Amino acid sequence: MATDKQHIEPPRFGTYLLQRIYGRELYDEISGDMLEIYADRLQSHGKAYASFHYMVDAVQSLRNYDLRKKNNTTQNNSIAMFRNYFKITLRTITKNKVYSALNIMGLALGIAAFVFILQYVTYENSYDKFHTDHEHIYRVRYKVYRGEELNIDCAAAVPRVGPFMKEKMSEVIDFARAFPVSGVMSTNNNQFRENRIHVTDPAFLSIFDYPLIQGDAGTALSEPNKVVITEEMALKYFGTTDVIGRPITFNSWFEMSLQVSGVTINVPDNSHFKYDFLISYETLNNRTRDEETGRVPSEEGWGWYDFNTYVLLRDGTDPAAFDRKFNDYLLEERGEDFAEYNFRAEFPLQKLTDIHLYSNLLQESEPEEQGDGQAVFFLTIIAFFILVIAWINYINLSTARSVERAKEVGVRKTMGAYKKQLIYQFMAEAVILNFMALIVGLLIVFFGINYFNQLTGSQLSLDFLLSLNFWLVAGGVFITGAGLSGLYPAFILSSFRPSDVLKGKFSGNKAGNTLRKVLVVFQFAASVALITGTIIFYQQLAHMRNADLGFDMTDTLVMKGPAVFGADSLFTTTMNTFKNEMLKYTEIEAISASSNVPGDEIFWTNSIRKNGETPDKAKTIYIVGIDYAYFDTYDIELLAGRNYSKTFSTDTGSMILNASAIRYLGFESPEAAINQKVMFWDYPKTIIGVVDDYKQMSAKTAVSPIIFPLALDENNFLTLKLNVDDYSKAFEITQTEFDRFFPGNPFDYFFLDDFFNRQYDNEREFSRVFTLFAVFAIIVACLGLFGLSSFSAIQRTKEIGIRKAIGADISNIIFILTREFMQLILVSIVIAFPLIYLVMDGWLDNFAVRINLGIPVFLLAGLVVILIAILTVGYKTLITAKSDPVKALRYE
Amino acid sequence: MKGTYLGEFEELVLLTVASLGQEAYAVSVKAEVESNAERKVNISAIHSSLYRLEDKGFLTSEFGEATQKRGGKPKRFFKVTSAGFSALQQSKDLKEQLWSSIPQLTFQSI
Repeated sequence: MATDKQHIEPPRFGTYLLQRIYGRELYDEISGDMLEIYADRLQSHGKAYASFHYMVDAVQSLRNYDLRKKNNTTQNNSIAMFRNYFKITLRTITKNKVYSALNIMGLALGIAAFVFILQYVTYENSYDKFHTDHEHIYRVRYKVYRGEELNIDCAAAVPRVGPFMKEKMSEVIDFARAFPVSGVMSTNNNQFRENRIHVTDPAFLSIFDYPLIQGDAGTALSEPNKVVITEEMALKYFGTTDVIGRPITFNSWFEMSLQVSGVTINVPDNSHFKYDFLISYETLNNRTRDEETGRVPSEEGWGWYDFNTYVLLRDGTDPAAFDRKFNDYLLEERGEDFAEYNFRAEFPLQKLTDIHLYSNLLQESEPEEQGDGQAVFFLTIIAFFILVIAWINYINLSTARSVERAKEVGVRKTMGAYKKQLIYQFMAEAVILNFMALIVGLLIVFFGINYFNQLTGSQLSLDFLLSLNFWLVAGGVFITGAGLSGLYPAFILSSFRPSDVLKGKFSGNKAGNTLRKVLVVFQFAASVALITGTIIFYQQLAHMRNADLGFDMTDTLVMKGPAVFGADSLFTTTMNTFKNEMLKYTEIEAISASSNVPGDEIFWTNSIRKNGETPDKAKTIYIVGIDYAYFDTYDIELLAGRNYSKTFSTDTGSMILNASAIRYLGFESPEAAINQKVMFWDYPKTIIGVVDDYKQMSAKTAVSPIIFPLALDENNFLTLKLNVDDYSKAFEITQTEFDRFFPGNPFDYFFLDDFFNRQYDNEREFSRVFTLFAVFAIIVACLGLFGLSSFSAIQRTKEIGIRKAIGADISNIIFILTREFMQLILVSIVIAFPLIYLVMDGWLDNFAVRINLGIPVFLLAGLVVILIAILTVGYKTLITAKSDPVKALRYE
Repeated sequence: MKGTYLGEFEELVLLTVASLGQEAYAVSVKAEVESNAERKVNISAIHSSLYRLEDKGFLTSEFGEATQKRGGKPKRFFKVTSAGFSALQQSKDLKEQLWSSIPQLTFQSI
C-alpha cells in the first residue's frame, strides 16, 4: 500500500486550480472524484497519461467556476459593500447638495478647461504634421551677416540654393521652391485679385501631402504655363472641379495664359503654407531668362531672396551636421563673392514642424498666422494649474467636512469596519464624484465648444471625442484626479479613533488645517498670478494699439493698384491723371501711390553706404517707393530737410530716409545728414530729407531703417485720405473712377486701420484665451473658498452664538470670520506678485513698445482678488453673523 | 417554468443516475454515460450537470463512504427524486407523441 500512497499524488497545480474553482462546500467530494479517476488512469495508462488528463480535467472544470456560489455569502460581501459605498455616496451628495455641487462643478470646470486647452494646444502643435514626411522636411533659412552683425534672417532663400544643395549633398532626396506672387486671375466670366499664388517646383506636390483630386502629381507642374489650383478655386472660377486643361489668365508684373493641370484638396487649416494657385516653376524661368546671355536669375540667382525653399532629407540625417557640411560647400562656391562684398550668407535648416510655433523670421509665409510657442507653453501650464486647483478644492472640502463624517467613521469602526475598508469607501466616493465631474466637464466642452471657438478664433471641432488618444488622456486625468483627490481624505478620515469621535471630543484636525491653508494659498496665488498676467496682457495690447505710430491711419482707404495694364509707357501718365481727377472731389483729401503701406511687410531691400566709404562697409536697407504726396497723405513728420517736390528736377538723384536709417548709417543727427551723399547700390544720391520713425510695422517690432526713393511708377497701393464721414459716397466715387481709369482690374480695397491692426490678431486671440482661463481659475478657486468659508461658519455657529450673547455686533463677527481667509489671500498675493512680475517683465521685453510694470497694475489685481474673495466668503458669513444666537446655542 | 427545462445532456445524466440506482456518484455516472452513449465525457461536465440537476430538484444526494483510493474524500451519491422521474416521464411522453405522429409513409421511406 505504500507504493499506492506514493503514486496517488496528481499535479499540484491541478489541485490548486480545483481548490480555487470549487468552494469549500464542493471541493472535498469533487476532489475525491478526481482522485478516483486519477487512480484508475494511473493503473490503466500510467503516470504521464493520468497526470496529463488530471490537468485537462482541472482546466476544463473552470466552466464550473460559479457552481453553487450563489449563496456563498463570504464571496459576495465586497460587492455588497461596494453597493453600499455607492449608496452612501449618493446619500452624502444629496444630503449636502451645495457642497456636492461646488465639488462637482469645480472639478467639472477644471476638466473642461483642461480639455479645451489641451485641444487648443494639440491643434497648435498639429501644424504641418499631416505631411507623411514631416519628420524629414526642412525649410532652408537665409541668414546674411555683414561683419559680425546679422543683417537678414529670412524665411525665404535664394533660388540657387535648392538645386545647389541637391547637387552637393547626398542627404537631400529632393527640394522644392515656392515663390509667392500676387495678382489678378481671370477666366471668361470671373476676375479676382488673388494673394495666395506660388510659383513652385514640380517636386512640391511630391514632398508635401496636398493630394490631387484631378490630374497627376508627378507631371502637373513639370511643364511651363501650367497651374494647379485648389478645389475651392476650381469651384470659384469654373463652378466644377473637372477643369483639367481649362485656361486662366494671370496678371501681375508679368501677364500670361495658364492652363489648369491639376486640382488639389483645399489646404488644411493647420498648414503653415497656404496657397490657392501653384504655377509651374518653368513659367517663371521662361519669364526671367535673358535672351542675350541665356542666364536665368530665378534658377541661378544667389541674391534674390523670395524663394521659400524646402528640402526632403534622408532618414537619420542630422541637421546640425548637415548645416556644417553644407557651409563648406557654400564657401567653396561663394567664398570669393563673400570676400569681395564683405558679407557672409548661411542657409541653416529649420524643421518644418517648428515653423508654426517657433519661427519669427522675415517673409514668413503666413505672418499673421504664426503661432507663439511660448504662449502655448504657458497655456499648457495654466491647464494643469486649473486642474490642480480643482483637485485641491476636492481635498479641502472633504477634509473640512471630516468633522461631519467623523461620527459615521466612528460608527462604522465600532461595527467592525477595518481601516482598509474605510479607505475603500472614501476612495470609492472620490471615484464616483470624479466620474460625475468628468461627465459634467465633457458636457460643458460639448456645449461650449462653439462659444470657445468664437471667442478665441480657433477652429476646434468635436472630432477629438472619437480619438483614442483623447480618451487615454481623459482616463488618465480621471484616474489621477480620483487617486490624488481621494487618497488624502481617505487616509485622514479612516484614521479617526472611534472612542474619541463618538464621545464627541473630536474637533477637527490640526495637520489637516495647515494643509488646507497651504492649499488655499496655492490656489489663490495661481489665480492672482493669472489675473495679474491677464491685466498686464490687456494693458500692453491697448498700449500698443494706442501707441503713437508716427502716422495717421484714420479715414484712410487703401486700394490695391491696377495689375492689368495695356502699355507700360502710358502707365505713369494715366496714374497722374487719375490722381488729379480724384483730388477734384471734395471727399478726397489726398491720394498717394506707393510700393508699400504701413502694416505691409517690406520685401524690397538693397545696399547702402555713406559716400566715401569702401563697399565693404555697405549695409542692407529697406525700401519703400513713394510719390510726392506720400508723407502728406500719411501725415508723417519731416524731422529735417524737405519733401520731394515737382519743382526740383534733380529729385531723381535725391533721397529721403527715416531717422533709424540716419542712425544706422552713422550720421550725427537728422540735420547733419542733409545734403550728404550716400551710395545706394552703386548710385550716388543726396539726402534731402529725414522723416520721423513712423511704425512701418506694428508696435511689436522696432522700426527698420528705410529709404524712400521717389518712384513714380510704383503702384502696388493707392492710398486715399477721405475727408468726410460719409464713407459710402467717397467709396462710390473711388470705385467709379477706378473702374473708368483702370478697366479690367478688380477693385480691391481695405481701410488702413483694420489692415494695420490685424497684426495684433494673434495677441488679441491669446489675450481672450488667457482671460477665459483666468476666469475659469478664479471661479474654481472661489467655489472652493465659498465651500470652506461657509463650512467654517457653520462649524463656529456655537462660538458665534456665545459671542453675540455676550454683546458682539455683526461687523465684529464678520471680521472674525473673514480674518482667517483674508490672511491667506494676502499671503498668496505676496507670493504671486514677485513671480508674475518676473514672468511678465520678461514677456514684455519681446516688444519694441512696452508698458512699464508699476504699482497700479498690482494694486488693481490685488483689489480685484480681495473683492472677489470678500464676496465669496461674505455671503455665508453674513447669514451666520445675523443668525439668532438663541437658535445657535440650542443647537445641540 | 424557468430552471426546470431538461437539456439533452442533463436528461442523459438523469437517466443514467436512475439506472445506476444506489451506486450513482460522479465517477460511476461518467463511466456509465461513456459506455452507453459511446462518447467521451469530461468529469467537469458531469459535475456541473449533477449539481445543477440537484438545484433544480430532480436529484437528491447524500454522502457515502470515503475510500483510500479517493484520498480519504467522501463520495456523494445521487438519487432521482419524484420530480426528476416526472420530468423524465414528460420528456419520454413528448417524444413518443412526436414519434407516433410521424406519417407512416415517411417512416417507411427511410
